[in-house]
Amino acid sequence: MSQNFRRDLNREFDAISGSPSPALSARVRSALAQGRPARTGPFWMAGLAAGLIAAIVVGVLVVASFNRHQTGALPGTAPTPSATPSSNPSPSFTPSPSPAQTPPDSNLPAFICAGPVSLAGAQSPAVAFVDAVRTGTHTGYDRVTIEFNNGEPGSVDMSQHNGTTFTQGASGQQVTLNGIAGLLVIIHGADEHTAYSGSTDIKTVYSVLLELRQVEDFEGTVQWGLGLSKSACYRAFYLANPARLVIDIQNS
Amino acid sequence: MMSAVMEQRPSAMQRAIEGDADSFAMLIDPLLNPAYRLAAVMLSDRMAAEDAVQEASVKAWRNLRQLRGDESALRAWFLSIVANECRMTRRRRWWSVVKSADVESDRRTDAPSQEAVTDLRRALARLSPDERLPLVLYFYLDLPLDEVARTLRVSPSAAKSRIYRAARRLRADLTLEEVS
Repeated sequence: MSQNFRRDLNREFDAISGSPSPALSARVRSALAQGRPARTGPFWMAGLAAGLIAAIVVGVLVVASFNRHQTGALPGTAPTPSATPSSNPSPSFTPSPSPAQTPPDSNLPAFICAGPVSLAGAQSPAVAFVDAVRTGTHTGYDRVTIEFNNGEPGSVDMSQHNGTTFTQGASGQQVTLNGIAGLLVIIHGADEHTAYSGSTDIKTVYSVLLELRQVEDFEGTVQWGLGLSKSACYRAFYLANPARLVIDIQNS
Repeated sequence: MMSAVMEQRPSAMQRAIEGDADSFAMLIDPLLNPAYRLAAVMLSDRMAAEDAVQEASVKAWRNLRQLRGDESALRAWFLSIVANECRMTRRRRWWSVVKSADVESDRRTDAPSQEAVTDLRRALARLSPDERLPLVLYFYLDLPLDEVARTLRVSPSAAKSRIYRAARRLRADLTLEEVS
């Protein structure tokens, strides 16, 4: 009886999970190559530092609160809102399919093999702050995900680039990426030096996407150059919660 | 031959601790498949599961010095990081309710139409990801009870109790002995 239960349960689990993509191992290796190993400093020092910072913050709040009471707050006055409102208000939850999940492939824009791709952001902030850049490989495409912490950027233009040599926006110096074909992604109304501290030159071992390099981050414009092993079709689209620019490069 | 293997593994672990990504990748490569299956069941989303495994792998490498014990402790430790990454993914993306419902609807097309299996499927869809976790570890990944406990970071008796409680929600007449 127990064996039947186990068998039936495992059959259900198999149906849910399927098999991992054959590229998962290469993808993890690539992510590890981009990552950084642990620092060796003692943990108690970090804990002590965190405790000191917390004590200072609490002290400042207590003093500020005391001063406010001393300078005119009347008894019975309604409490004032915090001086530091949340910069990330809770989104309303709707039971409809969430845009946060990766939509089925049939809902995604088609790959195009030539010409530019343009995206316009919805309710874009003046400057959208990049806080993460990730790569991954999947069956059918290699993927670049650029995540923003405060909404979609004003607009994005993506186009094929002649070769893999790009001119860096700030210095004017030329950089040559791995591969033989290139794509240029221009993000208008974005900033990659405030909230982003990751690598600006990401090399992968995927079949098509070989390198991703920031070539400009200046005056609200961010540009990334992509080095590809061959000329390939591509698409770009936004995902929400959090706001992400997704770029897929066909790898089959 | 065996002694050569026994000698090689600790050194791979040592190299990984010292920052060698290739050595760490070699160590966790056999764990990626079970990690993916665990994540896929918890998230009910295969693509998100691969993302979670990737993120968890990087986090595991960064925190490898926190691993207590030798390589034999690696599997439970790594799977616990994967499970935690799945929880964070769900919190971050606000789609737990939607995806829980998807477990049921997705399976309708490709499974046999036996009544018992359908009941099991419905019951499974009603479990939260954290309730599915001990079932996946124990029944699906075939981990021994003490390793399930280390992955869940609870005592073996508490792990057994969690497995039993979750399994009882799938099949009411299950006895504790059948879980042992």
